This record gives sequence, C-alpha cells and structure tokens, in this order.
Amino acid sequence: MIEFDRVSLTLGSFRLNDVSLRIGKGDYYFIVGPSGAGKTVLLEAIAGLHRPESGRVLLRGEEITALPPEMRKVALVYQDYSLFPNMRVIENVSYGLRVQGMRKKEARAEVAPLLERFGIAHLADRYPGTLSGGEQQRVALARAVAVKPDILLLDEPLSALDPITQEKFIADLKRLHREDGLTVVQVSHSRREAHLLATRMAVIIDGALVDEGEAGVVLNAPRSREVASFVGIENILDGTVTANEDGLATVDVGGLVFEAVTDAAAGEEVTLCIRADDVVLAVGNDRRTSARNRMSGTVVSVAENGPVAEVRVDAGVMLTAVLTRRSVQELGLVPGTPLTLSVKATAIHVIHSFS
Amino acid sequence: MHNQYNTITKMKTETLSTEPLPAGEEANVTRWNEYRGRYLDWCIVGFCIMGAAIVGITVLAIANITMTELADPAHLLKVAASSEVIGSILLTFGAGASAVLLLILFGTPLAYVLARARPSRLKGAVESIVDIPLILPHTVAGLLVYLLFMRRGWLGAPLSEIGLAFEDALPGTIVAMLFVASPFYVNSMREGFEKVPVHLENVARTLGAGTFTAFWTVTLPLSLRHMYSGAILAWGRAIGEFAGVIMIAYYPFIVSTLIYYSFTTDGIHTSRSIAFTVILVSFGVFYLLRRMTRYLGRYDDRV
Repeated sequence: MIEFDRVSLTLGSFRLNDVSLRIGKGDYYFIVGPSGAGKTVLLEAIAGLHRPESGRVLLRGEEITALPPEMRKVALVYQDYSLFPNMRVIENVSYGLRVQGMRKKEARAEVAPLLERFGIAHLADRYPGTLSGGEQQRVALARAVAVKPDILLLDEPLSALDPITQEKFIADLKRLHREDGLTVVQVSHSRREAHLLATRMAVIIDGALVDEGEAGVVLNAPRSREVASFVGIENILDGTVTANEDGLATVDVGGLVFEAVTDAAAGEEVTLCIRADDVVLAVGNDRRTSARNRMSGTVVSVAENGPVAEVRVDAGVMLTAVLTRRSVQELGLVPGTPLTLSVKATAIHVIHSFS
Repeated sequence: MHNQYNTITKMKTETLSTEPLPAGEEANVTRWNEYRGRYLDWCIVGFCIMGAAIVGITVLAIANITMTELADPAHLLKVAASSEVIGSILLTFGAGASAVLLLILFGTPLAYVLARARPSRLKGAVESIVDIPLILPHTVAGLLVYLLFMRRGWLGAPLSEIGLAFEDALPGTIVAMLFVASPFYVNSMREGFEKVPVHLENVARTLGAGTFTAFWTVTLPLSLRHMYSGAILAWGRAIGEFAGVIMIAYYPFIVSTLIYYSFTTDGIHTSRSIAFTVILVSFGVFYLLRRMTRYLGRYDDRV
C-alpha cells in the first residue's frame, strides 16, 4: 500500500536515516521505539508533512514523494488529539468533508452515523475544550475516519487515557481495523498495545529502522540485542557457542551452560533471549522436568505486579521469571528460597552477534 | 481564656499531623495563628510604593488637566464643538484606521510567514527590518517616509504621475502612520500565529485542506484575538504619531499637529482644551474596543 524506499530526512537536530518499510493493505502496523527515536516524524512523513531529502515514497506503486498531504487520503490523529478549538464537535468531525467541497447540510448528515457509532452524538454542539480526554480522542478518531482515508495514522493514541478508557478505545480500534478493513499505522512505545493490536511492526531507534516484520516475530524473536531489550525480553544473556549438533547448540554463558536451537556454529558469539514466562520454577531440587536446561538457584527478590509476580533468581547469572501471584504463594517463594529453574531449548531465541 | 485558645489550636494542629508537637513549639503555632491576616510583606509594600510613582505621574497629569478644564466648561465645550477640532479628530482616527486596514491586509501574511519559517539568517534579518521603526527617533522615521514619498522620491515620483500625491495630503499621513505602527501589528500577529499549534494545521492538511484553507479556517480564527489587539495597538500608535507625520503632511491637521499649532499660536488655553477633548474621546473609544475583545475568539486555551 505505502512504501518507503531508503527515505532520509533531517529536521532540526533530528535525522531519519535511510528508512525502508512497506505497509500493506489491511495491516495494523505498529511503529515502536523509545521517546525521541523519530516515530512521530516518520508518521508525519507518511502523511506528507515532511519532504524527504532522499529516497522515495510510493503509494500503490506510484511515487508520491512530492504529493502534498491533502492529496494523499491519509488521515492523522495526534497524541494531543489536536481538535480545532474554534469549532464544535460536529464541525470538527465534518471538517474534512467541508473543505473537500461538501455542503454543510450534507456533510452533517454524512457524519451523523459516525457520531452515533463513536458515542459522541450527544456532544455534537459542544466545544472541544469542554470534553474529557476520552471524548476528545473519540472525536479526533471520528474526524479522521469521516474522510474515508486509505490509511489511518495514529500517534500514541492511548497514552493520555486512563486504563478503563484505554480498554474501550482499543476495542474501537480493533473494530475499525477488522470490520472496516482500514489500514492503520500506529506509533507507540507500549509493548502491551503492540501485543493487542499489531499485525506487523517496525522498531525505530535513533532515527534508524532496526527491525521490521510480523508483530509476533519482532516481539518474540527480535533481530538484535537492542530490539530485544526494547521489546521487553526480560532475560538477555551474552554467551559463546561451544558446540552445535544438528541445530542444537551448547552455549556457555559465564560458566553456565544453556542448550538452544540455532544454526550458530561453535565459537560464535551469541545473545540468548528468554521470555520470563518461559522460565519455570520448582522449589528444591526437582528433577521431574523434561526441559533441556535445568539449573539451581536462589530467589533474590519477588515483586508483585497485579495478578502476576516477577521473581528474580540468582543461578550464576540473574534470571527473571514470571508467575501468577497465587503460585508464588503456593510455592512459598521468599528471598533466599532455593529452587530449580528450567527452560526449554526451543524457548530460547538466539541472536547472532555480528561484529 | 488563654488556655481555651491553646486547646483549640492544638486540636487544629492534630488534624494536620499525627505526631504530637514538642512542648516548645506549641507557643509558636499559637503566635502564628495570632498574626494571621495581619502579616505584611515589606518587599511587596516597597515595590508598591515604587510602582505608585509611575502610576502616580499619569494619574496626576490627568487629574491636573481635568481640574483645570472642568473649571471653565464653557470654553471646553466651545473648543470641543468647533468643526476644526471635530474634523481633525475624525481625520486622525480615520487615517489611523486606514493605516491599520492596510496593515491587516499586508502585515498578516508577513506575520504568518515569520511565525512559521524555521530560524534562519534571512528570517532574523526580516524580523530586524520589521522592528526598525520601533528604534528610530520619530523625526527620522518621518524623514525616511518623506524622502521616499515626496514628489521627487523613489516611490513618490511614479505615484504622483498617476495622481497620488503624498506631500501635505491625507495619503502622506496614512503612509507615515503605517510606517511607525507596522511593528506593533506585525509582532502581535506573529505571536498569535506562533501560539497556534502546527499540529492543528497538519491535521487540517491531512483532512484535505490546502495550505490557504487550513490558514483561513483554523489558524486565522484562532489568532483573531491577537489580530484585534495588534490592530488596536497599531491604531493607538498611529493616531498618536506627530513627528513622523508632519514631515510629509503638515496639512491636513491631525490632532497632534493641531494641538502643537494652537499651542504655538493661540497659547496654552486652547491647546489644553483640545488635548482634554482628545483624552476623553480616546479613552472612550479604547474602552469600547477593549470591551469588544471579550466577545472575540474566546476559545479554550487547553487545546
């Protein structure tokens, strides 16, 4: 649908560097990255608000690098909603249709179902300044959808909402994507949102695209150490492959030996990524597990976080495991408890360290 | 009696903090309560006294002229009602308004470009040029306008060919006013445009609005307050101009020229009455204009 071909652009002291990506029709595409990585600039570049210095932007195979934003059929919703404060809700939502030449009456009739759908019909005659954050967000979304864009661009749409409103809004977004078949590009720094919504995603750090692909792959099998720590893989360990037999490698991590599935050859430096929920804990010296990797350790700390608890274990290296709060109680885990950890060889994602 | 007071204080304290007060501090709390409401901040008092000197001069000056003028209302009325004075006031206000209209027409686009341009040497240079009339002595400004617009001037010569004369004519007055008032309007308008988030324009663009449509439907309406206050400032500056105007257009008499003329020919008596009339009219007009601001562009600033 839209394609960036080696796009670079400089904006003040910020630089977007040689970014290539392809957003397909019907994708729910996430652009994630730390603050200041250039996510919003990338989004604005898709909208045509910044002209790249080099590279090409293609829409349905046609070059649109120099096409102004009003010709692109790409609607943008900012994090701060950016509602027009001088217009009522109804005027905001029908703005796009009005500037495209539709008469006031027709435009209003056209957007009426949209107001109903987003639950803002009762706010039609209010000014944005009098609305709550969640209401403003829905108005902003309705305004963007009203022009029937090919692509909907969302800049951290959930970050300013309270958790309950967030849940509702995520449901709205899912519906827009699934039922209306809208292509959505969303900027976010939340892994949770990516888990819930994304079909594909790109990771951007310091103006450069460092990983791109299907959401599940990027989240669970990242391409680099940098991406792994950004997408929140709890256990990232550096080691050296000592042997590899038919794809089952033995990796030495500071004296501790892990077995993992990889094609990395002996002598190669690798990084192991282990999700905290793949680390299984058993009290004492438990031998019942079939997992390839088994080691003993002691609990260092237990941090409860809602229904789950994060347990840090010292097993020669520090490992983090996630358990339900209930199983932490049943196992009686407190700092100092000796236990056995096990990790399946297939649960370890191996990143080759290119040097 | 004293005991009872102490107990009350203690109870109040206990609602704020669960820790009992050390015995010695109990007395302090009581004293603090006693001083409440009578406490004087000597720093602010000092500032007020110094500030009063500035306000005082204006108040004294106006009180002075008011007292003397009200002592002879017949003379004041005679002067105020003379066609010469009324005509001159109307001329001044009208010329000022024309200058402001021209500023709105040409200064608004300039202000928008300055507000949206990225910092650069050119932008800095243009901003300095806009500010030049602010730093020049008014006679110099007047001379500049005169030299450019006189019958043999760079612009005056070709314009007089098509019948537009500036020397001792209303267009001369307007041009001089425009020159000295322009920074006030342009700077105020630019500030207004700078306050409108670029995001709003960006959203308008992605919704299908061209640059001008976005400006006309979003940016300009959100800057109306600044446009209005800039226009009032510029107008006030324009109608108060004297030195700048007389260089190119001694005639027709604007009020400043009229007051100066009558001061040097008829003496203080008449010029004082004209001045007082101008004060009254100006106050009235500016009060009305300021009041109208309340109904203009009152959008919620949170967005």
